[in-house]
Amino acid sequence: MRHRLLTLILFLALPAIANAATIVATVRDSRGIGVPDAVVYAVPERTASPSRKTAIMDQRNRMFVPHVLPIQTGTSVRFPNSDDIRHQVYSFSPAKPFQLPLYKGTPANPVVFDQAGVVTLGCNIHDRMSAYIVIVDTPHFEKSGADGRVTLNVPSGKYTVRVWYPSMRSEPAPIPMTAGASDRNEVVFTVR
Amino acid sequence: MVMRSFQAKLALLFVAVLVLLQTATLIAVHLAGQRTIRKSLGNELRVGSRLFDRVLDGRGRQLSETVRILSSDFAFREAVASNDEPTINSVLTNHRARINADVAMLISLDGTVVSDTLEHRITGKPFPLQELIREAAAGGEPSAFVSFDEHPYQLVVVPVVAPQPIAYVSMGFIIDERVLDDVRRLTGLDVSLWNASARNPRLISTVPPEYRDELYRRASALTPRTSDVDETVQVGGEDYQALLHPLRTEDRSRIYTLLQRSIAEAARPYHTLELQIFALSTAALIVALIAAILFARGVSRPLQQLAADAYRIEQGEYKGAIAVRQRDEIGRLATAFDRMRTGIAQREEQIVHQATHDTLTGLPNRTLFISRLASAIKWHPQAQSVAMIMMDLDRFKEINDTLGHHFGDLLLIEIGRRLSQTLPESEIVARLGGDEFAVMFFADDVDGAIAVAERISGALKLPFVLAGVSIDIDASMGIALYPRHAQDPENLLKRADVAMYDAKKNHAAFAVYETGRDEHSLRRLSILSDLRHSIERGELELHYQPKIDMRSERVVHAEALVRWRHPVHGFLRPDEFIPLAEQSGNIGVITKWVLGRAIRDCGEWNANGHDLAIAVNLSALDLFDSELPVYIGGLLAEANLAPSKLVLEITESAVMKDPAYALRILNDLKSRGVMLSIDDYGTGYSSLAHLRRLPVDELKIDKSFVLSLGNGAKDDLVIVRSTIELGHNIGLKVIAEGVEDARAWTIIRDLGCDMAQGYFVSKPLPAPEFAAWVESSRWGGAGGGA
Repeated sequence: MRHRLLTLILFLALPAIANAATIVATVRDSRGIGVPDAVVYAVPERTASPSRKTAIMDQRNRMFVPHVLPIQTGTSVRFPNSDDIRHQVYSFSPAKPFQLPLYKGTPANPVVFDQAGVVTLGCNIHDRMSAYIVIVDTPHFEKSGADGRVTLNVPSGKYTVRVWYPSMRSEPAPIPMTAGASDRNEVVFTVR
Repeated sequence: MVMRSFQAKLALLFVAVLVLLQTATLIAVHLAGQRTIRKSLGNELRVGSRLFDRVLDGRGRQLSETVRILSSDFAFREAVASNDEPTINSVLTNHRARINADVAMLISLDGTVVSDTLEHRITGKPFPLQELIREAAAGGEPSAFVSFDEHPYQLVVVPVVAPQPIAYVSMGFIIDERVLDDVRRLTGLDVSLWNASARNPRLISTVPPEYRDELYRRASALTPRTSDVDETVQVGGEDYQALLHPLRTEDRSRIYTLLQRSIAEAARPYHTLELQIFALSTAALIVALIAAILFARGVSRPLQQLAADAYRIEQGEYKGAIAVRQRDEIGRLATAFDRMRTGIAQREEQIVHQATHDTLTGLPNRTLFISRLASAIKWHPQAQSVAMIMMDLDRFKEINDTLGHHFGDLLLIEIGRRLSQTLPESEIVARLGGDEFAVMFFADDVDGAIAVAERISGALKLPFVLAGVSIDIDASMGIALYPRHAQDPENLLKRADVAMYDAKKNHAAFAVYETGRDEHSLRRLSILSDLRHSIERGELELHYQPKIDMRSERVVHAEALVRWRHPVHGFLRPDEFIPLAEQSGNIGVITKWVLGRAIRDCGEWNANGHDLAIAVNLSALDLFDSELPVYIGGLLAEANLAPSKLVLEITESAVMKDPAYALRILNDLKSRGVMLSIDDYGTGYSSLAHLRRLPVDELKIDKSFVLSLGNGAKDDLVIVRSTIELGHNIGLKVIAEGVEDARAWTIIRDLGCDMAQGYFVSKPLPAPEFAAWVESSRWGGAGGGA
């Protein structure tokens, strides 16, 4: 993985609808294999207002589900415990350090992530449980599938397209772009 | 002594060979042991070294695990995540103390030291062992040896996960005696370790503290090496096999370990083995020594026995077989020895027998007889005397001469046999030599001894029939008794001898020694020595006895008879000194003197008108003088006397000594015209047939026959008659001597005897008286002086 180049291809296409553009990003390694669970997000020039949405990070079979959870800044995340054992979820990540004392079921209060960054989640009693919450300052984000492809529908405008993936050491260079109406913009991140 | 040294030699040889072998064995075992010890020590050390590595390795993993658990402590992680430096410092210190680590460091993901508990802090600097971080990041459990603050550390690096790595924590543990003790417990080796990179390196070790300085000095001498070194080091006066093993360090600090094992300790089992071998060797040595001694004794004891037996034999003790009964070489030696013993005994017995016995008769000889006599004298019964009889045969010489030596020998044997048979009770019958016998016995008195002599005499009276010849013998015996006649064996023998001569002289069968008679033998000796000078001193003189022709009854011959007027012993008859002259070799001189004087006297008588012949006796020895006929011829010529006027009288036995030679001389004399007469006829054993071959003219019958004629002895008359007849038959004139009376005269005249001689006519007269007798006697010369 380390030595693999991941190419993110942005397809800049004409938007089918006025004021709407599509960014198609491909995250691949040096061998051209798509990287799954990569979060591609486009940060608009103008800062977006925080989200009020709620997301779910479930714990099922001693695993966090999903493994990677991208959210917009300000999103509340609930940590339901679907297992019949207790978990103690924590984060030491600077973006949001927190811990949920041993619990079963769903804690009363969701955790609000109001700072962009990556929060690494762990369970204090199950060292192997690990997950990432990727907090971005944009509503335009998507997680790649098995093929490493991501499609973002964004209003036309200027963006900086960025990527994060779990094994990332250093972030690949963000790709600035102007997405016109109906444009189909292809972006390729070739990551190491 | 020799035996003992043989024993010792054998034992010594055994032991020396054994000691040599065992010493060689011990040395070989020792050397092999030393090599094995070195080798096994080397192996042990290498195994120990690997074990040491494994121990450190395991310790590293264990430390890693400990640190990992520590680092997953929530509060620790929380503190680390806090990024608050004082908090981080304090949590590091706290958690370090929790697991007894000696140093703790927190390292950021980019390898920078965030916090540390070192004395000389390195916070803010890059972590010196980046490789460990990479290893830890890759999921390894790295541990490494480094030195911090001069101390050797084992350092582990563990990621701090939340749950992804957020930092690395590194903790270091000083390697101390505890670790080394663990290794020592595991390996049995002493382990030392020091940091050579330090300014003041300090040796940590399992060896006692007092040796550490010395050990460090020795060990550090080995250290510029980077690989394992197998060496011998000496510490505290003891040798150790040591293995220097540099630790692989991450920071290039030079940390060395030294594993060592006492060679002496490793050799201890070998020492035990060597001791056992030594003990076994010693035991074997003792057993061998005993075996050697026993064996040597087994050999030397019979040898000693043999030596003792040999000594016994040397001492002349032949009794008792040699008591060595073995089937080996020594046994054979002993058997040979025994045979030798019996051989020597037999031979010695034979030699002794020969030395003490007469070979011919088997009787004891003179030596043994004297010794027996001595012991008899020593041990004789108080009441009895030791008697001895010495005996010799009369005329044995003649028997020998006429019948041969073989016959003589047979006769001697038979006499010995008869003596032994006659005297079964007698102690000893011995042959002293020649025809001389001796008998020894115990007798109450002289009469008892005489009785024995008579028995002997009786036994010898019976004729001896030997080799077809029957012969009568006469013997003369002398009797002497101890203590009456002598005090010691030699004198007893001498006295018996004297007595025997007495008997012989008296024609008796025996005589008892008469005290004082011993001087006889002294006299003989004196006569013998004086004989030589008798002629020059003029002590010899001639007497003449007339021989009468029986038909004319006139004197015709005169027999010259020599007399010795000895200055001490007086008048000696020829019987007494002629044999001595014969023995001493003076007879030739005497014969020549007699011949000279007789022929001269006869010459004078003839010159005076008396027709007389002169008769002279010749000794047997004279017949060996080849000059004699010439000498006689000279004398006759000188005296102007016809050879026929000389009659030489020879005994039968004189002729028989060497008949051939005698015959030559006689023939020579005869050819010169000398008359020859056989004297003492009848006493010898010659036959008339034999006489016939001699060139003789007359026979003279021995006076012993004639003397008895007067007594009317019939036997002798027969002899005389037959002799006269036979003599006449072979043409000889016969003369009888010993005619003492008229009766004898008449008898022989009637028998036809030609001449007579004897006291009846005249006794022998000195020359002047004889001449006067011839003038005056009725037998006076035929044509003489009238």
